[in-house]
Amino acid sequence: MKKKVISMMLAGAMVLSMTACGNSGNSSDAGSAASTGGDAAAEAPATEAPAAEAGQETEAPAAAEGPVELVVTTTFAGEDSNAQNYKDAVKAWEAETGNTVVDTSATADETFKTRVATDFETGSEPDVLFFFNGADSNSFIEAGKVVSIDEIRAEYPDYASNMNEDLITASLVDNKKYAVPANGYWEAMFVNTEVLDAAGVAMPGADYTMDQFKADCEKIKAAGYAPIAAALGNIPHYWWEFAIFNNQSPANHLEIPESAADENGQSWVAGMNDIKELYELGYFPENTLSATDDETFAMFTEGKAAFLIDGSWKVGGIVSSCQSDPNDPATLDTAKLDKFDVTYVPGKGSRKATDLVGGLSSGYFITRKAWDDPAKRAAAVSFVEYLTSDEMVPKFAQHGASALKNAPEVDASEFNSLQIKAMNMMAGTTSLTGAVQDLFAGDCRVSTFDGMPEIVTGRVAAEDAVAEGLEAYQNQ
Amino acid sequence: MTKKKTLSPGLIVVYVILIIWALTTVYPIIWVIQNAFKAKNKILENSFALPTGDLFTMANFRKAFETTDIFGAYKSSLFISTMVALLVVLLAGMGAYALARYKFPGSSLINSLVIGAMMFPAFATVIAVFQMEFRWGLANTGSWLRNMMSVILPQVAGNMAFAMVVLTGYIKGLPIELEEAAYMEGCNAFQIYFKVIMPLTKPSFATVAIFSFLWSYNDLFTQSFFLRRPDMYSITMMLNNISAKEGTDYGLMAAVVALIIVPVIIVYCCLQKYIIKGMIAGAVKG
Amino acid sequence: MGANIYRNKKPALVFLLPAFLFMVVFLYYPFFKNILNSFMHLKQLGASATEFNTPWYTNYEEMLHDPNVWTSVKNTIIMMLVTLIGQVGIAIILALMVDNISRGKQFFRTVFFFPIVISATALGLMFNLIFLRDKGMVNQILEILGKQNLTDWKAEGIALVTMMAPVMWQYVGFYFVILVTGLNNISEELYEAARIDGATALQRVRYISVPLLHNVICTCSVLAVTGALKVFDLPWVMFPKGMPLKSTFLTGTYMYYQTMETKNVDYGAALAVLIVVLGVILAKVVNAIFREKDY
Repeated sequence: MKKKVISMMLAGAMVLSMTACGNSGNSSDAGSAASTGGDAAAEAPATEAPAAEAGQETEAPAAAEGPVELVVTTTFAGEDSNAQNYKDAVKAWEAETGNTVVDTSATADETFKTRVATDFETGSEPDVLFFFNGADSNSFIEAGKVVSIDEIRAEYPDYASNMNEDLITASLVDNKKYAVPANGYWEAMFVNTEVLDAAGVAMPGADYTMDQFKADCEKIKAAGYAPIAAALGNIPHYWWEFAIFNNQSPANHLEIPESAADENGQSWVAGMNDIKELYELGYFPENTLSATDDETFAMFTEGKAAFLIDGSWKVGGIVSSCQSDPNDPATLDTAKLDKFDVTYVPGKGSRKATDLVGGLSSGYFITRKAWDDPAKRAAAVSFVEYLTSDEMVPKFAQHGASALKNAPEVDASEFNSLQIKAMNMMAGTTSLTGAVQDLFAGDCRVSTFDGMPEIVTGRVAAEDAVAEGLEAYQNQ
Repeated sequence: MTKKKTLSPGLIVVYVILIIWALTTVYPIIWVIQNAFKAKNKILENSFALPTGDLFTMANFRKAFETTDIFGAYKSSLFISTMVALLVVLLAGMGAYALARYKFPGSSLINSLVIGAMMFPAFATVIAVFQMEFRWGLANTGSWLRNMMSVILPQVAGNMAFAMVVLTGYIKGLPIELEEAAYMEGCNAFQIYFKVIMPLTKPSFATVAIFSFLWSYNDLFTQSFFLRRPDMYSITMMLNNISAKEGTDYGLMAAVVALIIVPVIIVYCCLQKYIIKGMIAGAVKG
Repeated sequence: MGANIYRNKKPALVFLLPAFLFMVVFLYYPFFKNILNSFMHLKQLGASATEFNTPWYTNYEEMLHDPNVWTSVKNTIIMMLVTLIGQVGIAIILALMVDNISRGKQFFRTVFFFPIVISATALGLMFNLIFLRDKGMVNQILEILGKQNLTDWKAEGIALVTMMAPVMWQYVGFYFVILVTGLNNISEELYEAARIDGATALQRVRYISVPLLHNVICTCSVLAVTGALKVFDLPWVMFPKGMPLKSTFLTGTYMYYQTMETKNVDYGAALAVLIVVLGVILAKVVNAIFREKDY
């Protein structure tokens, strides 16, 4: 089964590599990125050129014929905070190798996932794919349409050698490693301290427990604020993950129960009932069942809600909410940003507050089609190596973790206050465990994700909903 | 053509009602446009205020142009939608004529088939169409033209049934005497269609063409499946791409929405003159 | 009679062929595959089905027990009534009004059409802002009028109204344009003759416009009824996944949900069949109603 990502991960993750501002590579951001990016660009040719040459040697005649056109699909598109980084990296790689990249990236929604699956089905898959390495990749791995890292290493021994082997996620299908990870993520609890102050609640720390959390929520509610910013009818994902985690330990969180009746299954049921309890206590916003995640996030940033459990990518969202012009970091209201903090998720039982969820959920795949094409093999390898180099990964990883063996030093002087708080928070983490929902993808999620409103309102028993989901999982 | 009218109380009521409805259709557009000039955190507090003074900013448009190739997207969108409208009008018109005028065994079955086809949800057919087009070498290729065709063909089919229903209803209402006269003069069915029916059906053709154009222009689902490369993105794809990740940046949303709808409204207002002309041309003959 | 011209059926084939070729290749064939899929075991969109469900009609059986199917059919029928009465009804009134005024005809014709021009996705975003709880256009107005607490326009009881009002509003212009086109085709001489005979404006509408519009109104009604079955974008943008508590599902949104969101592809395929069957039956009903009233 999938390996837990713990202390090893932390080694890489703690030295958080962050660029100046989490949000996308707009003009003023580029200035600060240039200080690190410039080095990267200068160094990259040195490290990459040999790799490309090596590729040509092994590939002999066909590959030497000149520029190759590589079709690449990633999720770095639209408003993804790495979209610009990716574009820049692709341009640099093209300039360096003379190859061209046909980019078919799109925002990672369900239509996109369907599109990728259809591409593999019809044989129109890209040459290189940056995609989720959890259950979403099962179908094309089962069909043998991507090449494992080991197979690539038989010919390119240095492929992904700068990565920490333990942090490369193995496939759920055959336990082989396919995807070279780039940027990771963590999930934690963001806090609006303005609301805490108004309600007379102290900033929680590393030993925060669920009971303390509930007592605080009660005070916040009494002061007229919504304690928890969450849209249970829209994105219950983060609460789902931590509520289950709170009834387990980092050691067994990633095991999917056989049935709702066994011990682990009961911890899932207990997790659902914990959310139900918080809902009944009135700690979620009044319209949590009909609001969108955007709306509840706005409540949090506007000082109407106190706590928000979310991922590392939300740092950028909070920062841009503190800018009068969201696209111009120069307009940042630092006083407002200082009111936001990030801390651990209240713990319970054998899960400590500092046991967080995080990891590397996506990576670069090279497809069988490209590998078997003598003209493209070397180019595909060179492309992935370029985008997963020691210089490139930190630019993409930002607040998230990376799997690099030797992450470069971080220059904290360019960070804003929330980024520094995030880094300090991450330094105190005792473990990082992957999200069990990444293994639990597809229709098995429906009964407890989309069904969350029914569970918390008591229309469906938590036990039945969990049982239904697990049954669907076993049938997959 | 003129109707004698005095300003009676009844007429005033009519105008009041018409103006109220017109307000509901025009104001949202004004609202979107004025909010496109405001920073995102100002919109919710001040959505009705005009963007003047401190409220005014071009940042949203700057970002929209910086992050997207908006002219390339217009090119794709206009090409696709124009082709769709032309093909639909041409082919559906012929089909509708046959359905309206010919009585043959199974014509009611064909009618049901047309209405049924109108119901097919695109989500149910898109995968099979994609697989088929990929086999033909149309979908997911490097060629701009072929990629555009891969969107145009299913969209033509998707609008065909609707167009046939509207046109059949219209042609059925035409007086048959003109066709008989043409027949007496020795015209065959094809000559009748092109010389008699088509001119008479002009207003309805215009209606169908406009709807086909708009539906094609606004049809996100089909486009998102067939147009993968950013350099081939259509205008709606761009809106979707931006809204997917930054849905709370209402300012940027408003700017992009404005960029999408304003050209269409301008084009529509310009063409309006010709459409009305077509309608009147039809009326005179009737 | 005119039947003489059309005794030779061969040209009909030529006229129909291209249009049908398109529909067969891009609609019927894919839909036939869809019907097949509804009997198969299929959990991944884009995959080819290999085995049949056991028993093969499982999905159709499940439909009968699925409360969401009933919710979505019920909501869709409400939507149909709303579109018939609201959209077509308002459109007829507006079209007749515009036809009977002399000044500003063209202005109203142009302006009423605007909502169709805007993509449904954009409209959905806009209405989300209008109905936003904290604080969109509607709640801002209510606050000005002195209402103390915020109304959640997307709460369970009222969500259907919040969803249907924009859909209705958007498509009035669509039927309006079709009807105006039809009205323009009515000979001015008929009105003139009626006027000379002393008919009032209302009488002219009743005895000339409405009867002569009969075919067009019938077309509009068929479009409205079938359109309601497929309506998707706006409700989905405003109420994704049938929020709140799966109470706002329509047949179109529920099918999309099952196919794209839950990856219950074969069940989604079965729902698509249900949509088409319902559509054809209802279109026939509408046609039958209008035929009885033939003038």
